Amino acid sequence: AGQTNLKSPQDIQVYVVNTNFTLRWNYTGNDTNVTFSAEYRWFEDFGPSETEWKELPGCQNVTGTECDFSSAMTEYYDTHHVRVRAERRGEVSPWSRVFEMIPYFIAQIGPPGIELQSTNGVIKIKVSPPEGNQVRKMWIAHLRFKYNLVIWENSSNAEFRSQSISPTDIIDGLAPDTTYCLKVQATLPLDSQEGLFSPIHCVKTTRKVNDPLCATNVSVLALNMKFHLHWNNQYKHHVSYNVQYLIGYLKELHDDYSVKWLNVPECENITNTQCDFSSVITTGFYYLRVQAMSEYNKSCLSKEVKIDPLVTNEIGPPGVTVDASDVLLHIQISPPGGSECEVMRDHYDLSYRILYWKNSSNNEKEIKMKEIKQTIGTVADLTPSTLYCVKAQAFSEVYNKSSNFSEEECIKTPGDKVLPLIILATFVTALIAVLLVAMPLVFALYQAYNKIKYVFFPSCQLPLNIEGFGGQLFISPYLSATEEPIESFSITETTITEEANQIYFKDYKHSKQSSRDSGNYSNEDDTSGNKASEEMLEKEII
Amino acid sequence: MNAFGLIQIGLILLCTTTISSLQCNHLPLQQRKVIENSLQLLDKMGKKFPQQCLREKMFFRFPEQVLKPRQKETVKVAIEEILQHIFYIFSKNLTLAAWDRTALEQFQNGLYQQIEQLEACVIKKQTHYFRSKEVNRLKLQKYFKKIDCFLKDKQHNLCSWEISRAEMRRCLQLIDKVIRKL
Repeated sequence: AGQTNLKSPQDIQVYVVNTNFTLRWNYTGNDTNVTFSAEYRWFEDFGPSETEWKELPGCQNVTGTECDFSSAMTEYYDTHHVRVRAERRGEVSPWSRVFEMIPYFIAQIGPPGIELQSTNGVIKIKVSPPEGNQVRKMWIAHLRFKYNLVIWENSSNAEFRSQSISPTDIIDGLAPDTTYCLKVQATLPLDSQEGLFSPIHCVKTTRKVNDPLCATNVSVLALNMKFHLHWNNQYKHHVSYNVQYLIGYLKELHDDYSVKWLNVPECENITNTQCDFSSVITTGFYYLRVQAMSEYNKSCLSKEVKIDPLVTNEIGPPGVTVDASDVLLHIQISPPGGSECEVMRDHYDLSYRILYWKNSSNNEKEIKMKEIKQTIGTVADLTPSTLYCVKAQAFSEVYNKSSNFSEEECIKTPGDKVLPLIILATFVTALIAVLLVAMPLVFALYQAYNKIKYVFFPSCQLPLNIEGFGGQLFISPYLSATEEPIESFSITETTITEEANQIYFKDYKHSKQSSRDSGNYSNEDDTSGNKASEEMLEKEII
Repeated sequence: MNAFGLIQIGLILLCTTTISSLQCNHLPLQQRKVIENSLQLLDKMGKKFPQQCLREKMFFRFPEQVLKPRQKETVKVAIEEILQHIFYIFSKNLTLAAWDRTALEQFQNGLYQQIEQLEACVIKKQTHYFRSKEVNRLKLQKYFKKIDCFLKDKQHNLCSWEISRAEMRRCLQLIDKVIRKL
């Protein structure tokens, strides 16, 4: 055995479907009595290490140009190398080029299994995952598969219809008494992987029997997370209803979910055609259906309605209260659903749109808008003493939903209080200032006036007889009198007293003397003494 | 790929995009809420980690680098794949786990809704780099396969479930951290 002119195989390819590995190659040389053998090696953790080439089971002494080596493959995430060579009567060709692969990346998704049932004008389909219940799987999380159905009428020029289906699903929208053909593939959208199609199955639809007992037009109305199911019924006799719900994800499992429907509490055995099912809604999708039951123990299930709570729900209008101060409007918003409805605020990330305008008599409304995130907002730049009206709506940018507008609330901005206040303040201050300055001034002037009046215009009258003797002398009692006037006074006094009573004269002299004796008197003191005696004289005379 | 295959891809894209009416830009907000909610429900499902199961604790080595790449889109894809795997794990035979069924159902339902919405958005963007030989995604597959095999080997007994639940909790916490930064 040695090197001969045996050609080595070329164009090595590995074809993988689920966990089935097929090695293929081309042989261009003379292929009579030629067998092929393959070798492989694999590396853990994506790094080449010194692993040896091993014989590839299932690909030893193969006569054709392909072989199945699935039994050798266990590690689907590791790098593998494969090579092939030809053999003939002891001669071996050189090894082919090495084919490198990571099984997971070249594997294709195999076809899924299909079970069909034609009933009442629809086709019930049950899909089983590509690898079923195999022990060794390439696709470990079979729940990740999304199934794609292609269906067409078994006639010429038929249109293909493609739709995404759950593992257990109902295909409707079909014409009755018609043969349809269909095929299904499993896909992994994240991997951009499309599996192989299943074999084509053909089935004939039956006639559709519309049982009048069944509930029709099943619809959902939801406001502020209060969910109501409504339906119609044309049955003439007595009907009672059971509303049932299914937790959404159960439909995506491969188990039979028909046993997992639950009755909505408070909607069991009811006769009215509506049901409040808010109590069963938490997170995620839900399916709802109505079971109608007649007196004769007949029942009929309506179509299923799928609900995505946050998408189906409508946001109600918020409440608005307005307060005005100066040229600002303070707007307080109470969120829709009230304070109990935390869910809405949590998931919708609500914002509020406020519309405000001047409510003037002419109908030209210039409506302005403001968006706020919190429940308190202020609007500024308003004109005073004007009537403004406000309304608000809640909206969720995330879910592209907005509520209806709230009721309008109108309020008048207060008038201009500033200027009158300033005037009043100024007036009062001025008044006080004036009072504070004027009062002492007036008082001082009054005092001055009195003094001056006293000095220049004394109020007391001289007696007639004294006046004759030079009344001028009495005009200014405060003037510093010289001795002479006093002397003359005393002289005149003496002459007067000669005519008058002697006693008075003596008395006067006494007092004068005494006043003189009293010590150092100024002239003024003397004159004051004179004044006193003068008054005494006056009294006596009068 | 032949023309017919392309048509089919186009049709699939069309169908899946009409399912979701949400804007994809606001997906992070919803994701944060779902992950928060899921973590709470995961805790509510069962009691504290049983002491007797500590012996059987396994190290699964979650490939954290899968959540750290340069592109935001790649991270979103990785998150979705992880959620899909978690959803799959919790849909298996849970009778021996004896957890609160209501909490489990809400957990699964919330996860599934998020997966659907993410899928619609991700497909819209038609990211073609999925098929790139991303080593990190292989590590992710290996990680989940390990957990799958672990559960099978232990025949889905209580300890294997509790260990898996703790592991999934760790996963979700990592995702939570990443989402907050997005």
